[in-house]
Amino acid sequence: MSHPKTPHVVDARYMEPPEPFVQTMEMLDRLQPGEKMLLLLFREPHPLYKVLRQNGHAYESELLPDGTFEILISR
Amino acid sequence: MQGGLSFDNAPPLAAPLRFFLTAPLFLVLAGLLLVYAGPDIFASRWLPATLALVHLITIGFMLQVMIGALLQVLPVLAGADIGRPLLVARLVHPALTLGTLLLAAGFLSASPWFFRLAAVLLLAAIAVFLLAAGRGLAAQPSTSPTIRGLKLSLLSLAVTVALGVTLALGLAHGWSLPYADLTDLHAGWGLGAWGGVLLAAMAYVVVPMFQLTPGYPARPSWWFPPLIVILLLLWTVAAAGGWHWLVAACQLGLAAVGCAFAGLTLRLQLQRRRARADATSRYWQSGLFAAMAALLMLAAATLWPSLTELPAWTPLFAILLIAGAFVSFIAGMLYKIVPFLAWLHLQHGIQVGMPAPNMNRLLADSAMQRQMRAHQLALALLVAAAFLPDWLARPAGGALAVAGGWLFWNLLQAALRYRQQAAAIVARQEAA
Repeated sequence: MSHPKTPHVVDARYMEPPEPFVQTMEMLDRLQPGEKMLLLLFREPHPLYKVLRQNGHAYESELLPDGTFEILISR
Repeated sequence: MQGGLSFDNAPPLAAPLRFFLTAPLFLVLAGLLLVYAGPDIFASRWLPATLALVHLITIGFMLQVMIGALLQVLPVLAGADIGRPLLVARLVHPALTLGTLLLAAGFLSASPWFFRLAAVLLLAAIAVFLLAAGRGLAAQPSTSPTIRGLKLSLLSLAVTVALGVTLALGLAHGWSLPYADLTDLHAGWGLGAWGGVLLAAMAYVVVPMFQLTPGYPARPSWWFPPLIVILLLLWTVAAAGGWHWLVAACQLGLAAVGCAFAGLTLRLQLQRRRARADATSRYWQSGLFAAMAALLMLAAATLWPSLTELPAWTPLFAILLIAGAFVSFIAGMLYKIVPFLAWLHLQHGIQVGMPAPNMNRLLADSAMQRQMRAHQLALALLVAAAFLPDWLARPAGGALAVAGGWLFWNLLQAALRYRQQAAAIVARQEAA
């Protein structure tokens, strides 16, 4: 699935934990330097944020009207 | 990548588990008190045994689990670190447990010393918890409705405790206070703004995550917590000013907002993608219906105040809201949280070739569903006892004690299986 912000998207909205975390880390591994990925979830993934900060990834999140959090993560 | 998930900021399981295993025992005590005191307990909300019973459930069961759960989930829900969760648990748990027992003893014996000791212990326990949780949470910007809700619910817990301690010390020293108004406010802040807002803040995350439903729409999620708190502030001002029409309007508003939240959650549950309804979603469904029934009663009573003079009215309202709604939500949550945490804390076993057992093996859904039916039988008997107390008060108490004991047994089995597996992992690590 693609998205205007980036072609690299993990739509984890109907996945059970720990799938969203696992799939996000796998996609981050595949990205080239300078690329970004988008994670879609119905919550803010604070444990993932912590891992992203530890690994030096920048991220920003936005809450959409339907309750989806769009989290844009830089490689 | 799984290794990254046994997050280093997750507190040790021992921190929340002590709260989760103690709490159901208070349901047993509450049931036994009902068996002992019998039908009189349904006669008035002001009877000592009635007040003791309510607090055994609201503090003994509800607050125990809520505090234990928050120590565990604040890092996950809000990114808020609790400095030393095990130390906080070791300080809060004994004071909260003993304080609850002394408060119940205070109501039953009318001894001022029990009330004084209970007030000191409960105040200390909750102050330590609020300082630890509040410090972590204050550092987090409110980037989600959940974080905003958590902050407002903790503030409301502080108000609830301040009112409760005032009432307890007033009873101990014979102060002349407007007891009826203060008690209504204490219950409103405790069940509406602490319990209700906390429930919503948690539901925004756990309902979609565990029941695979759509998310809560953003706009009502942002507004629900502050709206409840604003209505309670208005109610407090109205009670102080003696404006009874405004008190009634605030209660009507609270009932409407609460019903809207329950209705929205039911609608989301109908759209869930998990085909089979597990114990948690069934507990939540029955809890939501009970909550809506109680809130409709609250709304009706504001419009037709004479309804509250019906003998079954007040006990029925309390039974539906506390045993029907909150106890069901909390038991349903425990059945997700305890196996999930046990599973999470066993993840490191994979390094020595011992992957964590399936969550269903730590606590089988069939065992949870059987206990849930026991709780629903107890609830049905309690509702019927509101109308036929002479016949059914004691059987209802017995059923409540059995359902509480069964919940304890189920959670204990999961904890023991966790310990067994954890010990096996340590043995394998030492052998390697």
